[in-house]
Amino acid sequence: MCFSLRQSIIDGDIENSLKYANECIKASMNPLEVLNKCVVAGVLELGDKWIRGEAFIADLVAAAEAAKVVIPILKNEIVKRGGKLEYVGRAVIGTVEGDIHDIGKTIVATIWEVNGIEVIDLGVDVPPQKFVEAVKQYNPDIVGMSALLTTTMVKQKETIEALKAAGLRDKVKVIVGGAPTSAEWAREIGADGWAPDAISSIDVVMKWLREKRSAVGEAHG
Amino acid sequence: MRHMARPRLEVLSREEVEKIHVASLNVLSRVGVRIDHENALKLLNSVGAEVDFNKRIAKIPENLVREAIAKAPKVVKLCSRDGKLCYDLSEGRNTYFDVGSAAYYYIDWRTDEVRRPLSKDLADVAKVTDYLSNTHIMSTALVPADVPDVIADRWRMYVVAKYTTKPIDTGAFTVEGIPDAAKIMASVIGEENVSKRPFMFFAVCPSPPLKWSYLTMQNLIDCAKLGLPAHIIPMPQTGGTAPATIAGSVVQANAEFLSGLVVAQFVNPGAPIIYSGSPTVFEQRFATSCTGSIEVQLISSAISQLAKFYGFPSASYTIVSDSKVFDEQASLESAIGAIISVLAGLDIAIGSGMLYEENAISLLKLVVDDDVAGMALRFGRGIDVDVDTLAEKVFEEVGPGGLFLKHKHTRVWWRKEHFMPRLLDKRSADMWRKMGGKSLKVVAKEYVEEILKKHQPEPLPQDVEKELRKTVTEIAKRYGIEKLPEV
Repeated sequence: MCFSLRQSIIDGDIENSLKYANECIKASMNPLEVLNKCVVAGVLELGDKWIRGEAFIADLVAAAEAAKVVIPILKNEIVKRGGKLEYVGRAVIGTVEGDIHDIGKTIVATIWEVNGIEVIDLGVDVPPQKFVEAVKQYNPDIVGMSALLTTTMVKQKETIEALKAAGLRDKVKVIVGGAPTSAEWAREIGADGWAPDAISSIDVVMKWLREKRSAVGEAHG
Repeated sequence: MRHMARPRLEVLSREEVEKIHVASLNVLSRVGVRIDHENALKLLNSVGAEVDFNKRIAKIPENLVREAIAKAPKVVKLCSRDGKLCYDLSEGRNTYFDVGSAAYYYIDWRTDEVRRPLSKDLADVAKVTDYLSNTHIMSTALVPADVPDVIADRWRMYVVAKYTTKPIDTGAFTVEGIPDAAKIMASVIGEENVSKRPFMFFAVCPSPPLKWSYLTMQNLIDCAKLGLPAHIIPMPQTGGTAPATIAGSVVQANAEFLSGLVVAQFVNPGAPIIYSGSPTVFEQRFATSCTGSIEVQLISSAISQLAKFYGFPSASYTIVSDSKVFDEQASLESAIGAIISVLAGLDIAIGSGMLYEENAISLLKLVVDDDVAGMALRFGRGIDVDVDTLAEKVFEEVGPGGLFLKHKHTRVWWRKEHFMPRLLDKRSADMWRKMGGKSLKVVAKEYVEEILKKHQPEPLPQDVEKELRKTVTEIAKRYGIEKLPEV
């Protein structure tokens, strides 16, 4: 059953993913284990395949979409059974103001989520002030900003400046991405990191979270 | 049946094709062709050609040409060595890409050094070609310098037949070449199959203008007698050994082709013949025979149209370049040729890997040409228009502002609709930098290295390999040659 769920996720088959997730729950399987071994592992496997050039981005998106549908159901079940949702960190993510490109940001959000990060997705066309408010409200470890247009990437810079003005810049790590951006751009605008694609972004943010954990000396799940 | 338009290119109107046809008939009947072959002249004389035996010129009347056209088969079959795969060459239904043949030099893929090739180099070219997916025909690409010249033609066949199952474009430099080639094929597929499913076909090149050497004519006659496919390759050289005009060069090529066709069909009615060509531009500035010039593509396209006018398969040296090393020119001239070959409906586009006025083979060019061929073939397949590809239902489901990337239709159809080149870089700039920021030449070099390291062509069965080696050894012994290289 778990194997069928994993395969349905890999196939990007939402209907069957739902069916097998529910069957796993009905069969009283440990929902955390199902989440990790069948959903997360499926998406990660496809992510690796894409990096190696063995899968298409359309396959990865489809798997992420299927994962997005079943993850809340499994999380709900974890809570229902008195378990605790454990995250390795928290992130706020959004596409910057004036830019309505959704997909890249959403793939990143899903990939972060399946890697155990609690993701607050602010959506698209997010003004700098909204990022600032979200940081105040959620106290995240990471802020992720996407921009797909050369005309909107400057908003990444404005958002970082807004965070500075609000005195929040040092509380978070900022990662930027999107087709017109680059590592040089990230440096120039004072971001902490940059990644060329969703899969590579995992290495960047996980490193930060590990560093933070060892600095704080806390043990997360 | 669904009608599907295929992208096509015609450089001549029907009327212009007929004009060229008539002009070549006039050349054949009034000027004639010189044939340095007594028996061929006698044969032509006996069927009604006007022959001057002193000048060795045969004036061939129209009725012989018509008869020959009627006798010749419209489909020519080329098979893989193991007979598992056969190509039916017929009026450009498909274009097959073919490695350029008989280069005297080899451009070492490791060092860029231009040198005489060894048998081992030829084996490498065969191995790489065997691996490539858009290069369908291997040729006896190199003339190895590690065997005596007198048997180089047949030795090449042995080396290539050993290292690829793909059909082989070859030819003979000797009078014994063709009968021996039949023996070589027989030792692999059995004598009874030699004309039924030949895995080799043979280049015969008239000497422009309007002349056949004894050797070439004998090769053509032998092919016809044995029922082996021959491609007659006129080589008009604009402004050198052919008129400077494109139309005049086509007339010459056509007259030469038809003269060969007549001999072949009167030697053996039904002998399989491919209308081929290797036009060149005689560059007046440098006195060079250029193969990558754009006019070569015009003449080749005209050859394709004339072949279709008569109903024969066509071929031409089109995926060639005059560059001396593998560089930008090498790929761009070949790319233009590849796409025109497919659009013009040539059955065979010859010259993959070839540089240097058709004098050298470069493995780097060969592997890039394979990507180029893939692109050209994809273009030639055209646009598939039906209920699924029009995707009306998908529009309904995705809606304005939606994302097709997420839809299942994308996962089903993207792969079917697109050609994915192996070497041409499609990564993001960052990814490209991360992968080493390599130029196409470096990528090609690594690819060649990988193929040579990993690819194992299907070996000949042991007894067949032994038989083949025996046949070649016996041929060599006839010339007193005892020692042959191991490959």
